[in-house]
Order: sequence, then C-alpha cells, then structure tokens
Amino acid sequence: MFENFPILSVITFSPLIGILILAFINRENGKWLRIVGIATTFIPLILTGILYSQFNKASSASQFTEHFTWLQFPLNLDGLRVESLTLEFNYSLGVDGFSLPLLLLTAFIVSMAAFASVNIKTRWKTFYILFLLLEIGILGVFLAKDLLMFFIFFELTLVPMFFLIGIWGYQNKERAANRFLIYNGLGSAIMLIAFLIIITTAGLTQVGDTANYIYTGSIDTIMQNLNDPNSYANTNVENNPSHLSEAMQTTVFIMLLIAFGIKLPIFPFHTWMLRVHAEAPPAVVMIHSGILLKMGAYGLVRFGVLLFPDHALNWAFVLAVLGAINIIYGAINAFSQSDFKLILAYSSISHMGIILIGLAAFNDIGFQGLIIQLISHGLISALMFLLVGSFYERTQTTAIDKLGGLAKAVPFMSAALLFAGMALLGLPSLSGFVGELLAFMALFEKYPIVTLISTLGIILAAAYVLRGVMKITFGPLDEQLQQQVKQDARLIEVIPMVSLMAFIILLGVYPSIVTDITQATVVDFLEQILSNGG
Amino acid sequence: MESMFTPYAWLIPILPLLAFVVLLVLGKTNKTFGISFSIAAIFASFVLSLLIFWERLADNASNYVWDGWNWLEIGSFQISLGFEINNLNAMMLVIVTVVSLLVHIYSVGYMHDDERKTTFFSYIALFTFSMLGLVIAENIVQLFIFWELVGVCSFLLVGFWYFKPEAKAAAKKAFIVTRVGDLGFFIAILLLFTYLPEPSLSFTYISQVFTTDLVNQIPDHIQFWIALLIFVGAIGKSGQFPLHTWLPDAMEGPTPISALIHAATMVAAGVYLVARTYDVFLAAPGALEAVAIIGAFTAIFAAIIGVTQNDIKRVLAYSTVSQLGYMMMALGFGTKLALAAAMFHLLTHAFFKALLFLGAGSVIHSLHEQDIQKMGGAGRYMKVTTITFAIGALALSGIFPLSGFWSKDAILVEALHYQVIFFLVGSLAALFTAFYMTRLFCLVFLGEHKGKHKPHESPISMTLPLVVLAVLAVVAGFVYTPFIPWLATWLTGEEVGDHLSWTVIFVSSGAALAGIILGWLFYGKKAISADKVAASIPWLYKLSFNKFYIDELYQVAVVKPLKVVSYLLDRFDEYVVDGAVRLTAGATVWLGGVASRLQNGQIQLYVLVTIFGFIIFVLALIGRRFW
Repeated sequence: MFENFPILSVITFSPLIGILILAFINRENGKWLRIVGIATTFIPLILTGILYSQFNKASSASQFTEHFTWLQFPLNLDGLRVESLTLEFNYSLGVDGFSLPLLLLTAFIVSMAAFASVNIKTRWKTFYILFLLLEIGILGVFLAKDLLMFFIFFELTLVPMFFLIGIWGYQNKERAANRFLIYNGLGSAIMLIAFLIIITTAGLTQVGDTANYIYTGSIDTIMQNLNDPNSYANTNVENNPSHLSEAMQTTVFIMLLIAFGIKLPIFPFHTWMLRVHAEAPPAVVMIHSGILLKMGAYGLVRFGVLLFPDHALNWAFVLAVLGAINIIYGAINAFSQSDFKLILAYSSISHMGIILIGLAAFNDIGFQGLIIQLISHGLISALMFLLVGSFYERTQTTAIDKLGGLAKAVPFMSAALLFAGMALLGLPSLSGFVGELLAFMALFEKYPIVTLISTLGIILAAAYVLRGVMKITFGPLDEQLQQQVKQDARLIEVIPMVSLMAFIILLGVYPSIVTDITQATVVDFLEQILSNGG
Repeated sequence: MESMFTPYAWLIPILPLLAFVVLLVLGKTNKTFGISFSIAAIFASFVLSLLIFWERLADNASNYVWDGWNWLEIGSFQISLGFEINNLNAMMLVIVTVVSLLVHIYSVGYMHDDERKTTFFSYIALFTFSMLGLVIAENIVQLFIFWELVGVCSFLLVGFWYFKPEAKAAAKKAFIVTRVGDLGFFIAILLLFTYLPEPSLSFTYISQVFTTDLVNQIPDHIQFWIALLIFVGAIGKSGQFPLHTWLPDAMEGPTPISALIHAATMVAAGVYLVARTYDVFLAAPGALEAVAIIGAFTAIFAAIIGVTQNDIKRVLAYSTVSQLGYMMMALGFGTKLALAAAMFHLLTHAFFKALLFLGAGSVIHSLHEQDIQKMGGAGRYMKVTTITFAIGALALSGIFPLSGFWSKDAILVEALHYQVIFFLVGSLAALFTAFYMTRLFCLVFLGEHKGKHKPHESPISMTLPLVVLAVLAVVAGFVYTPFIPWLATWLTGEEVGDHLSWTVIFVSSGAALAGIILGWLFYGKKAISADKVAASIPWLYKLSFNKFYIDELYQVAVVKPLKVVSYLLDRFDEYVVDGAVRLTAGATVWLGGVASRLQNGQIQLYVLVTIFGFIIFVLALIGRRFW
C-alpha cells in the first residue's frame, strides 16, 4: 500500500499541519485553538492506525523504510591513503516490532493529553504549538534509523517540554523546568559524545571496493560493522584511529546507560523527574510519564543493548540489581509522600524498575514483558495524571491530607481513580499485571534472589496505591470540599478516561495484541544479542 | 455418555459478567430491570451448574478440558484462557451458584433502601463471575487472575459504605493482608514455571508431572517450596493464622456479602486451591504437615477468640476462620479420603454458615444493632429467623443428624487415623464452637428485649433464602455418611471402605453437647456468671477478647517500621541523592563565578595563569612517560 509513499515522514511531520493552522488563528480564540489542537493529534493517530493494519507482523526487519543522504561533509585527507573520506548523515526512518507499539502509544497518549489540556487556561496558541512540536519529536525518536536523526529528535522533545513546564506549570514551575533542561541536557551531552565515538569508529565504511570511505550514522551499518570481526572498528592494528577497543566499548556502553538511565530514570538519577511530575501541568505529565520516560528504555535497548550486546550481557546482573533498587526504593518512597503527584512519580520509578528486570533476563519472555510494561505503564500513568488534572481543577490541591470522601461528590471520577489505582498495583486482567508477570518469570531462573526481592514491590504497590487513592475518595467528605467539588467529569474528560480504561482492560485481557506485533522482532533481537554477545 | 452441557460451562461465569455489564450501563436509569436481570442471569448459571453436575454423576465421566483461546503466547510458552470441568469443581460450581443466587434474592430485601443498590448488585455479579472463573480455571495463572479478581470484589464490597472510616480501613486491610498471601502464590507460580520440565502451567500438566516420575526432575526442596507457597496463598485467602486478621474486620461490609464472600465462597477458595493442586502437596510431605498444623492451630485459636467477641458478625467471622482451619487441617492429612472430607466440610459449611450470616443480617436489619450484649428476646418477634438460625447453629455445632455432624465426623475420623493430637484439637475446637454458638443464640434470641426498636420479621425475599439454606443445612450431610460414603467415592474415584468410628461419633457429639450445655448454663439459665469466670482468669479472657494482640503485633512489627523506613528514605532522597545533585550544580556555578572573576583585564594575571597551565601541561607530559 505504501510502496512509494513516505508514510513514516508523513506521520512524523503531520502535526505541522496543525501548527500551521494554529499560526493563523487569533490567540484570543480559545475555542478554535483547542479544537484545532485536539483535532490535529488525530491525524498521526489515524495514520499510525493504518500503519498498524499494514504492518507485516511476521517480519523482524524495519518496514516502510525511507532513506536518503541528508548531509555530506568531505573530510581532510592529509596523511590518508584514500580517495575520499566523507562524513555523512542520513535521513532514515523505519519501523519494526519494537518501535511500532511505542509509536501507537505515542499517537494515542498525545491525543488523550490533548483532551486533558482543556484545563489549560492561558496562552492556548503557544501551548498547542509547543505541544504539537513535542509530538513531532517523540514520533521521530521512535522512527529514526540514524544516530544523528535520533539525537536531533531527542533534543526536539526537550525544548517544548522546557517551555510547557516553565510556562503552564504549578508554583515552582521555573525551577522544575530549569532542572529538567539541565539534567536532560547533561544526559544528551553524554549521549552525543557516545554517538560521536560510535560514528567515528564503527561508522567507518568502505564504499564498495573503491578507496572511498564514509563515516555514517546509519544504525544498520553501524550494527553490521560492530558485528563484523573484520570491520575497521574491530581491527586492532597500529595507526587505526577507528579501532573501538574493548575498554572503549565498555565506556560507551556505560555512557549510554547513564544517558538513557537519566531519562528512564534509574536510581540515583531520578530526582529531576520528581519535580517535573509535581510541577508540570497534568496534560504534559501525561506525555512525560506516559511516553518520554519510555524513550529512555527505548534508547537503552536500541543502542546500549543492541550495539554492545556482549557488554549488556556482562552487565545483566547490574541491570537486574538496578531494577530491583528502582522497584523497592520507588515503592517505599511512594508510601510516605503526602502529594498524590509524588506518589505517582515514585511509583513510576518503581515501575520502570520492572523494565530493567525484564531486560536483564535477556530472553523472549523478559523482552515481551519489558515492551508490555512500557505500553501498560504509559496507559496507566496517562490515566492517572488525566485524573490528577481533573481532580486538581476541582479541589485546587493534590495534597492527600486535604482530600477525602470524594466518591460522594464525584463518583465517576473516583471510580476511574480506583480503577487506575488497581491497574497501577498490577491487578490481573488489567495491563499492569502482564508486564510484571512476564518480567519476573523471565528473570527468576537467572537471578532468583534479585527477583524475589523485587516481587516485594507487589505488596508495597498495594500499600501505597490504596493509601493514596482511598485517602482521596473514601472516608467522610468534609463540608468545604463538598462546597468546592460539585461537578463530576464532563464529557470532554470522560472520553479520554474511558478510552484509556478500555485499552488498559484490552491489554490485560488480551495481551497477545501486543506480543503478536513484537514477537518476530524480539526473537531477532535475542538472536543478535546472544550470537554476538555470547 | 456424551456430555451435552459440559462444553457450555464457560457460560456459567459469563452470565454474571453480562449482568455486571448490564448493571454498569443501565443500572442508574433502570434499577429494577438491572437487578432482575442479574438474578435471572445467576439463576441460569445455577441451572446450568446443576445440569453439568448431573452429567458428572455418570460413572467414569472423564475430565473435560477446553483451552482453545490463547491469552498469551511467547515462543514455546503459552497460557490459555479455558476451562476444565471435573468432579471437584462441578461440586464447587453448584455451591457457588446456589449461595450466590440465594444471596442475590436476599439482597433485594436487605439493600432495599440503599440508594446505591445497583452498584451493590453489580459488585456481587462481578464477584460471582470471578469466583466461578476461579473454580473452572484450566491453568494456574488463570486461577491466579480470578483469585486476584475475587480479592478486589471483596475489597469493593467490604468498602461498599466507603464513607465509613471503619469500612475504609477494613477494605484496605483486607486487600493488603491477602496480597501478602498472594505474593506467596505468585512466587509458587514462578517456581512452577522455572522448574516444570515443559513451559506449561495447566493443571492437567502439573498433575501429570507430580504424579509421575517427571517429578524427580524437580529438586526436593523446590517441591516443598512450591507446595508451601501455594499454601501461603491459601492462608491469606482463607484467613488462616497468621494472616487471619483481615477477615473479622471485613465484617464492615454489608451482611449478604459476609455470607457470600466471607463465609461460603471466596474464603473457601484457599481450601479449594489446595485441593485443586493436591498432587503437588502429596509430593511434599513437609508442606502437608505445615498445612495440618496451621489448620489445626487456626481451628482452635479462632474458636477461643470467638468465645469472647460481642459483635454478632465477628463471632461468626471467627467461627468461619476456625472452620476453615478445620478444612485445612483435614487437607494436611494427605490422603484422598481426607481431601474428600475437607471438601465435604466446605460444602456443608457453605450452607450453614451462609445461613447463619443471613440470619444475623436479618436480625441486624430488624434491630439496627450488632452488639449481642445489647440484644435479647428477638426470638419472640422473628420466628422464621430464629428457627432457621437455630438449625444453622446446631449444624455448625455438629449435632446429629444435621450436615455439620457428618462433615465434622468425616474429618475427625481422618484425624484419628493420622495423629491423635489432631483429633483432640479438633474435638476441643468443636466444644468451643458449640459453646460460642449457644452463647450467641441465647444472647440474641432468648431473654428480654433490650433495644428501642421493636423487632419485626424480615420480608419474604430475606426469609425465603433462610428457609432454603436451612433445608440444605439439614440434608446436605447425607451425601457422605459413614454408611453411604457416596461423595467420597465420587470425588476420589476410589472405593471407600468402612470408616465408621463410634469413638469419633461419641467424642464429637459429646463435645458438641458439652459445649451447648455449658453455654446454656452460662447464658441461657445464667446459672454460672460469665463475668465471674472471666474475672477468675483475667489474662486468658483478655488475650481472647483482644484477639491475642495479633493486630497490635503487626502494627509494631510491620506497619510502624515500614513507615519509619519510608520516612528515612524520603529524607535520604531529598538530602543525599538530590543533595548531591544540588551540590554538583552549586559547585558548577561557583566554579563559573571563579572563572569569570579571573577575567578582570589584568595582563599579569593572565600570564600567571598561562605559566601555571604550562607547568601542569609539562608535568602531565612527563608523567605520561612513566605511567
């Protein structure tokens, strides 16, 4: 269907249509700005839906690929016996079984978040423009097949996020925005250095049999070179500047682990995201917690693990321990928070630990658990923050000590909150359980003790979720709140809530819907990791 | 015989699920229709269960397994959503549907004035669906899924009156405490998955492994842990010591729920789980012993507490804990006959305990009071409730020829065969049981009426289920008597020999009668003052009245430490982890400040820095040579 049609580019840049239209709408015209803002997010949603229907599940290869050379810099040839040496960057997109579910998640969550942004009260025009730019960045991250492309899209998410937090956030928004930008900027810097090292070593390729050489950022080429024992990167001879020594590989792997570990976040690099959760507007946190954190996991797998499989395998135990620390540390901290948003923030840390657990197992069940957990947590945290936004709008606070008994005032929203809580604590039949089950099953044989410690998170999750949720909705309703909170969820709030709930149930009752897409790719990943790393 | 209805067994849970959806969507607009629909649905499930049960009565009816729908498939590993019908769960289906149906009908009267009654009905429909799904689950993961779902329904229903702080606390406790047990169950599944020769978790396969030589591929200690951890799950769900504390608190929920969930069905799921995976237990004698000991201890321990409680429902709750302990104890004996005895007691207990709870509900509905010390004389005003309650109490106490007599007898016979100590503990627990039931009956139904409300008999929708259950409580015992051990033969598939034991009949009947007579002397005739006896052994009375301080122990040993650790970690996160981040940021700013101050335009300083830098550079070059 899409033989000569650049569907992936169209998906990635489709939000630009909305940005263009928004540019021509008067900034006072809130109604139309919102309509256009929300409607635009449906373009990538529908397109990714079509993409899904056309996707070949049996294939593990990148599909719908687009590739052309974008930038070429001829390099200095002094002292080199080659005809030409070029630094080349490609515009290269593709989608496989690992990126497709995340792509679908992105398009879906962004639409839901667009609904949630009806709670935004000022500067709609700027808001929606930044919001749609952010979507372009995320879509690009999951589709990029070139290191530089990936980096640019990754950075493209930082800038809109910075303003979205800094302008529309709560009390300490500026500080949170600064912290976000600096911390993530630091991560990006590390990532960039790592990428440059990779490009200048593993990226060196001979063009055919000629004496023409290029440095390329293409992920496929780099992977090929890293796995080829005769490539320049793997040839250890005198005067080969492109040799990527074992020690250097370790260094690069650690750099990638830190760069993406900040994003995921892995303890102890998590404090920035607490502030983002606490200060950013709910619609933005939906995207942040729902998708942006997943970029960390995506990058870690795509670059850290797939490019350096032997190091990843050597580090499996460290990854498992980091996962266990995330799970337990996050869960125990969540238990003592008095701000519901912070309970959720720490709970995110805890849930990202499960991803590391699934990864550390390095088998198909673990990988599937990882992917399902990514999707599931995206849906659940989006639902949670959607609800946080709706509750905050009515109560003006998220401090759980000031709330109570809201089930009487807003029964639908309270039921939805309880539902989200149940999903968060991993109730079977909802999506959260599947990821947990698979990740723990996968790791148990390899590291039983680490797994056993991690499973304590199951009880702790019940404790912190019920503490938070029941404090808000159960118990007697005090009078002041009763006066304040009159209206239950409006239609525009109900639509995204019910949609998210539906998908959480669907994934819990029929997880094969995700594993079907991913299985071929996962098997292929494992083959690469185990054959090249073993 | 060709099975005609069994292939449609999946409809049994699906119908209540349908009712749940209907109630959820239409409940607010059309209350009567929603409720009628759900009763009709559960009735249909009940009829279908009966038909399937009838089909199972045929000789050599083989187990029916359907696993056509893949829930999850990863490589060679797959988990299906399917169902299995065997004699054990065919019986469970009938128990669950009949009690659920009666509780549905009862609730029409009991919840008549509650404005959220459709919500209530939707919850019990969801519960019934989950419980039935649990019963027919084809593999252990599926069972776990429904296991958690019944837990959530229990949570929702305990916390049904969400605005009451006690209900809120009780719901939370029920969920978290049972989750501790669930974690054990979960780890058992991980162990099974890891150690079973093939990546399959269906009950058929598990049975096959544990009953053949394949079991030798699993290390002995792992076999032990698998069985023990499954039992930990059962401990949580069935309110066994030491995870029993949630069950009495769960009485904050509406009374029909206590009858359905916390007496007849869900709490018995633990017993059912052990029975369902009995082959695993038979391979691990150590774990079986643990089951017997925990069960016996719980049976006597909870019975002692039951003697001093003053809330009508809590007395019954402790009684439930105690009776479940009885069943567990029997399972621990590790014979097929003991299994049959446990399941038999599960059956009779479901009927008479549901009867007692619904009877208590009828009293509460009439008196608006739950403290038995403030009750009295209800017997004169509530004839049906009183008579049916008396039947339930006698059945529970184990009086001939009511159902409880036969099932208790069956267990005690096995106990005598196993070890005498268990027989003695069981008989003593029976004595306590008869005593506290007599106490309860005397205080509530006899004597003078004390309250302000004039008691009245409950409406027909409530008394009808009482009568039906009373009949069942009388006759259900005849399916398995020492003379005609039909149930045991049918469940175990083996010919059951003569196991009539007059010793057991005399001792257990004696214990029951002694309990009743003592109770009568204390609370009926008031020949002995209960207060005086309590005052003469204050420590024992206090221990019993305060439930052996288990809740307080958990507060000190678990909840408080968790709070302290959580607080400390929060500070750690703020000052150490984030502190390091702030320090780094601060140091960077400071360094930037120093560096910018260096640029003050004075050439002398620049030269100085240059020279300084040059020296470092040279030193570094020299140093490199020696490294």
